[in-house]
Amino acid sequence: MNDRLSTVRERIASDDGDGRLPNRRFVVGVLALLVLLALPVGTGPLFLLKMTGAFYFAIFAMSWDVVSGYTGNLSFGHSFIFAVGGYTAALLTLDAQLSPVVSVLVGVLAAIVAGLVIGFPALRLRGPYFAIVTFLLPSALTGLFVLYKGTFGGELGLPSPAYLLDMNGQVATITANYYLALFVFVAMFALLFAVTRSRIGEILTAIRENEDAVASSGINPVKYKLLAFELSAAVGGFGAALFVHTPIGGANPTQLLAVAVSINVLLATILGGIGTIVGPAIGGVVFYLLRDSLDSISWNIPVLGVSFSSLDLILFSIIILVVIYFIPDGIVGGVQQTARRLGGPDEESAMTDGGRSTLERILTRYRRDLEEDWGERNE
Amino acid sequence: MSGMSEASAGGTDRALEPSDGLLVIDRLTKEFGGLTAVDRLSFCIRQQEILGFIGPNGAGKSTVFNCVTGVHAPTSGTVWLDGQEVTGKPPHEMVKLGLGRTFQNFRPLEDRPVVDNVKLALFPDEILSRDGWNRDLDAEAVAICERVGLGEQLFHRPSELPHAGLLRLELGRALATEPTILLIDEPFAGLANLEVEEISKLLVELRDDGLTLVIVDHNMRGLFSIIDRAVVINFGSFVAEGLPAEIKNDPKVQESYLGGERP
Repeated sequence: MNDRLSTVRERIASDDGDGRLPNRRFVVGVLALLVLLALPVGTGPLFLLKMTGAFYFAIFAMSWDVVSGYTGNLSFGHSFIFAVGGYTAALLTLDAQLSPVVSVLVGVLAAIVAGLVIGFPALRLRGPYFAIVTFLLPSALTGLFVLYKGTFGGELGLPSPAYLLDMNGQVATITANYYLALFVFVAMFALLFAVTRSRIGEILTAIRENEDAVASSGINPVKYKLLAFELSAAVGGFGAALFVHTPIGGANPTQLLAVAVSINVLLATILGGIGTIVGPAIGGVVFYLLRDSLDSISWNIPVLGVSFSSLDLILFSIIILVVIYFIPDGIVGGVQQTARRLGGPDEESAMTDGGRSTLERILTRYRRDLEEDWGERNE
Repeated sequence: MSGMSEASAGGTDRALEPSDGLLVIDRLTKEFGGLTAVDRLSFCIRQQEILGFIGPNGAGKSTVFNCVTGVHAPTSGTVWLDGQEVTGKPPHEMVKLGLGRTFQNFRPLEDRPVVDNVKLALFPDEILSRDGWNRDLDAEAVAICERVGLGEQLFHRPSELPHAGLLRLELGRALATEPTILLIDEPFAGLANLEVEEISKLLVELRDDGLTLVIVDHNMRGLFSIIDRAVVINFGSFVAEGLPAEIKNDPKVQESYLGGERP
């Protein structure tokens, strides 16, 4: 008994069965943070601008992961939340002449309401049907923005509101906004990391596995699903409301509302590692910078006679496909596997590894849901 | 009314009081469209007994089970748990009120080891609860796993467990919710004789420790030696209730099973 209990404790202390990994992870995290803090010293304002955009995009991806990666309710319309948060904040600063700080706070509240709108169907509909509904919400909002072009700026979006941090001189402003973005990125990461590593995270992943099991454990799955949506909306909305008040961001469909935004947060999270929070944090930044660098390659491809940058989306899709195929657990999963392999054969972790990735689990559940429905109909 | 057992309380359209048992089902009716799956069914479960809830396939056992555990809301009728009306409360509420349950089609969490499956059921439902802080949930989870015979498989994934192991896991999760009454859906389906014996022994031990149990099954094979009483239903209606031996020889019960299995 005591032996078993101490084994349980050891395993919990070592996170997932490898005592040396967490410390290494911590060291890597601190090193990365130091590099990011020192970045303005070694790079120019252009790169800082890109990094600012990358941080906010990573915040979007993390907010998506809380809902979709953890509870398994794949949302294909999270840009709805970003747009509501970002546009609300921008409009308040621009038209109501509010201070950006107040606008951001109201933007977060608006995003929380948007989170309810997108989360509510998830309480009634099972995975595959919920996914379809989420597709429609950003489109409906786009329609509204085009219809009331005078207020929302249509397809071009709104003009830039005042920056949250405006210094004397462009470089100082860019640097200040970079640090703000870094701070918010780290803060949101810490918040979501803490929540998902707590009891709440275990309940959210249990919902992903089996809602009946959660209910029969005396835990209300509806309450925790709503919590995930609201947490996601608050973080995503906060990110968007800040983002529109930076030199790189703005309240326009391309950056906040387009279908591509919803899909990109999904791809970035899968690239980094779905259902981990660390994954979308890394994946978000990598995705943003990678896409940006592919986009800015200017040479032409000889045989096809087209510019390299016009193929960026195709190239990007191929990269993502390769990642999903070879490391379905993303960058985080790949690094973990490699570290484990280098650390020598570890029987226990090999044995208890379920052998299936989180992505596979979510999709398996979708298939099961659909099969059950078709089974019922064919009976 | 079967009329055999003096303590008989169940029947069709028979009014019961909240104080008639630990769990009291009073004139429960469930209709799906025009179809009446359960018809004014009344029966009660007494403190610290093992009740066999029996009926041929399609008798409406699952519907009753689902109405009591909160999966379906009954069309009419009342369910009392420990004197409190609990009709139509959602499943997680029922569990919190002390009504534990297992699934016939097991519902393990495949992504985590056995001990964490059980630990989930020890978590409080409140989001900001501090309950978990002053309790040692790991120790409790390990103890429950050992209780149900999974002490050697704490870190196995559910997919590595045999059929009987998954049943034990269902029981472990249900016990972790600290139930006063435990509803077990067809535990013996697919088990070998030795496993039936082992699980039976466990269930009797739980009863002796103060738990009340309801075992749903389509016949009395395996149940006969462990149940204190049985309630038999067919076509959604009450057929008989009584001691196992009485039930077995009841002509109405035998009639229910005609053309098929034995009770």
